[in-house]
Amino acid sequence: MKLSVKHLPAKIYIAIIIVIVYLPIILVVLLSFNVSANVTFPITGWTLDWYIAKPKGYEYGSYISVLYDKSFWKALTNSVYVSVAAGLLTCFIVTMTALTLRRRIPGRDILFYMILLGFIVPGIALGLGNVLSHRMLGWKPSFWTPVMLDVIFAVPFGLVLMMARFEPKLMEYELSASSLKASPLQVFRHITLPLIIWEVISAAIFGFLLAWSEVIRTQFVIHGTGVLSTFILTELEINPVTTKWYAAGTILTAISVAGLIVFAWILSRQTARR
Amino acid sequence: MVKYTNYLMLLPGLLLCVFFLVIPLGIIIRIGLAESVSTAEFEIHGLTLQNYVRYFTSPQTIDILGNTFGTALITCFICFLVAYPFAYFLTFYIENQKIKSYIISLLMVPFLIDWNIRTIAWIPILGDKGIVNSTLMSLGLIKEPISLLFGQAGLYIIWLQTYVLFMMFPIYLALNRIDPDLIQAAKVLKAPPHRVFYDVIFKLSLPGVVCGWIFVFVSTLGDFLTPGLWAGGFQTLGLSISTFFGKNVWPYACTLSTVMIVIALAALYILLKMVDIKKLIYES
Amino acid sequence: MGEIIVAKDIVKWYGKEVLALNGISFGVDEGEFYVIIGPSGCGKSTLMKIMAGILDYDSGGLYINGKNMKGVPAHKRDLSLMLETYAVFPHMSVFDNIAFGLRMIGKDKGYIKRKVTESLELVGLSGLEKRSPVELSGGQRQRVALARSLVIEPSVLLLDEPLSHVDYRLQRKLMEDFKTLHKKVGITFVLTTHVQEHALILADRVMVMNTGVIEQIGTPEEVYRTPRTVFSARFVGDINLVPGEVVSKDDAEYAVKTEIGELKALASGETDMLGKKLVYAIRPEFIEVGKEARSCKNKHKAKFVGYYYLGNFVECVFNVENKVDLKVSVPPETAGNLKLGKKYAIGWRSNDVALLEKPSVIEGLDVEEVIYGK
Repeated sequence: MKLSVKHLPAKIYIAIIIVIVYLPIILVVLLSFNVSANVTFPITGWTLDWYIAKPKGYEYGSYISVLYDKSFWKALTNSVYVSVAAGLLTCFIVTMTALTLRRRIPGRDILFYMILLGFIVPGIALGLGNVLSHRMLGWKPSFWTPVMLDVIFAVPFGLVLMMARFEPKLMEYELSASSLKASPLQVFRHITLPLIIWEVISAAIFGFLLAWSEVIRTQFVIHGTGVLSTFILTELEINPVTTKWYAAGTILTAISVAGLIVFAWILSRQTARR
Repeated sequence: MVKYTNYLMLLPGLLLCVFFLVIPLGIIIRIGLAESVSTAEFEIHGLTLQNYVRYFTSPQTIDILGNTFGTALITCFICFLVAYPFAYFLTFYIENQKIKSYIISLLMVPFLIDWNIRTIAWIPILGDKGIVNSTLMSLGLIKEPISLLFGQAGLYIIWLQTYVLFMMFPIYLALNRIDPDLIQAAKVLKAPPHRVFYDVIFKLSLPGVVCGWIFVFVSTLGDFLTPGLWAGGFQTLGLSISTFFGKNVWPYACTLSTVMIVIALAALYILLKMVDIKKLIYES
Repeated sequence: MGEIIVAKDIVKWYGKEVLALNGISFGVDEGEFYVIIGPSGCGKSTLMKIMAGILDYDSGGLYINGKNMKGVPAHKRDLSLMLETYAVFPHMSVFDNIAFGLRMIGKDKGYIKRKVTESLELVGLSGLEKRSPVELSGGQRQRVALARSLVIEPSVLLLDEPLSHVDYRLQRKLMEDFKTLHKKVGITFVLTTHVQEHALILADRVMVMNTGVIEQIGTPEEVYRTPRTVFSARFVGDINLVPGEVVSKDDAEYAVKTEIGELKALASGETDMLGKKLVYAIRPEFIEVGKEARSCKNKHKAKFVGYYYLGNFVECVFNVENKVDLKVSVPPETAGNLKLGKKYAIGWRSNDVALLEKPSVIEGLDVEEVIYGK
């Protein structure tokens, strides 16, 4: 990678922004090894206790080390399940809808605007509305509730992204295939799907990411341990902020970085193909 | 032409919208017009405008709306100031495609970290014993620590961090789509650099800018956690809604929600008027 | 030998405002090379897609081999369409592209291998089986698209503007290839183009289209020599057009009163044109200059005002009485002797003239507009 000095001020600006964005995270990682329970400087000593110290029996909430905090791991796994489900469902709905909205059919605009609503309506209204509608319809809040909320929000995003990235000649390939005696199902299997597969995968990953980082809407519909975001929120509301949470944050960062590397690898495969 | 398969394919999206969007919104509007709701059996009693009357005659309404709008717009503005140059530099001044994608991936990492952790991460920097205050005090500039974190400043900083990406991405995508031939044409027609920027680049990136503004605006409208936890006492519309819901005063909470939804829809309307989304998306 | 394609009154609307096809009726004979010619936007691509079944129409009837195609999807029709952009599948090799149709109808591997290899030979692409389409030139990609449409042995091959993106010089060669292919394979070809020369060279029969309607159908010679409307006359070949009115008739000739005097035309005998307002049309190659002009029925003295050198002949422009410019095709040797600004005798025979009543099949068009083009 060659680093030229052209446009240096611009590059400095970009670097500064990145540093500012990362500064808190770096501090989190650094301070997670702090002996002191206070989350600020100075660092009184280095320890791994916040990560792996065996609980002596009287710790609670903010003082249990990450490794032994069962509710933390439960919340984490919940988050993973919810996010994966949201990702897959988003991907499915977005693909079906994006492919069909290309054609001029009556009612297309209405559906498109309805879907856009999912991203415009503020999270709190969606959360509130869904809690109430679940009560009215007699549905019990379940695993699927936060999933659907995340999907409602991710679908408009994913839809716009996918449709904007469709190969302009896609429809022509499909029409040619039709004229070459391929039934609609065959066209989908042999022509459409292979040509949009990376967009489909991106939609799934996108849905996953949005669900993973969501907290506002979910807050309304989940009680108890719930997913990661609501769990940490509740904990912080009742417990003091301690270094333990920095340790948790570091672990989450590590997971996110790993996930991102995978995502970047998938992206690079996609651009290589093109 | 087999048309029914088209509608079949649209069914999942339609069901999603109806059950998790249209019906909830409908209920909100309906309950906003109710006198009371018995929580046990979920019976809606009454059809009245009293909640709206109460809302629009309450002295706090103007304050709260002002707070909400004001902070939302300021946040949009701050995010815009930070994001636009970033997107611009990223598009035009970074030649290497690989570096571009690395930078974008870099920016996504913080986004993946739980919001709570991200916000408490500011404590060592902006808190009373944080870096900023300690430096300022040791330099003798201030005697007492400035309460940066639990005030408006903290609010804006946290919101900036949370939403700047949503401002940056649409602008970045819009800038990337600009046909370089157009910029060339402007230069060939002897346009001075600032005209090239304003008339060609900025105007063509406008759809992305509007998208970014609308999105950040609507998100800050609905974000009641940040002001609640970090701005101490600063009342916004979202906060009111959550308070009333928590107290089981559903009708009033729904009235407030309806107001919020109307504001958001107005924003969407502006978006659609200014930017022909359909042209961007549809081919035909 | 009958009509393999029959279309009756096909109407197609795009949305509520654009009428793409306004009642198209025609028939294509089995085995013929049928060319549809018309300006951009006249609806020829739309018509092709409707025939292929990838576009639906609003009313009318379409019959292929006698069977009504209403409700019959593209993949069940016995014809194959090659799009203007070729649309060679980018994610498949040349072999897989050509084999595609055969695989879709479920032929076995041995059959496919045989047929694809034959096909590659037919279009001259043997040896390129494993290549990816991105590695091919435009011409090669077109041949892949051609091969893959032919290998499934359709009754009709539809070619939508196959000559549009081809170099001028290569167009000639490509047209010869099409004609050879047509004879070899023996099926019906339907091709669209907006260049009249293509129609004249390739077609057994030509259909002239104009914004959603058919102006004329006939052999190239019929359309060229006896155009039915001003539009057809202008679109196929070059022509001189002078508006006028038939004022008298004597023996076998009409006298048409125009800006430049009374011009004579042969009365063809079918309908009486006396008193009608029409357009007097004469092709440039039928106008003589100098000596030969003297023996013509229609003689004028005209000033030589300009010319276009076209290699094998020169198109000279002569101005008559400062009112009308007439284009005359002149062999280069004769043209060399002409001096700009001087007056010469030009003339033509009455039987080479066409009298065109209608500017176009489309009602209400202004004659001037159709003559000079909009």
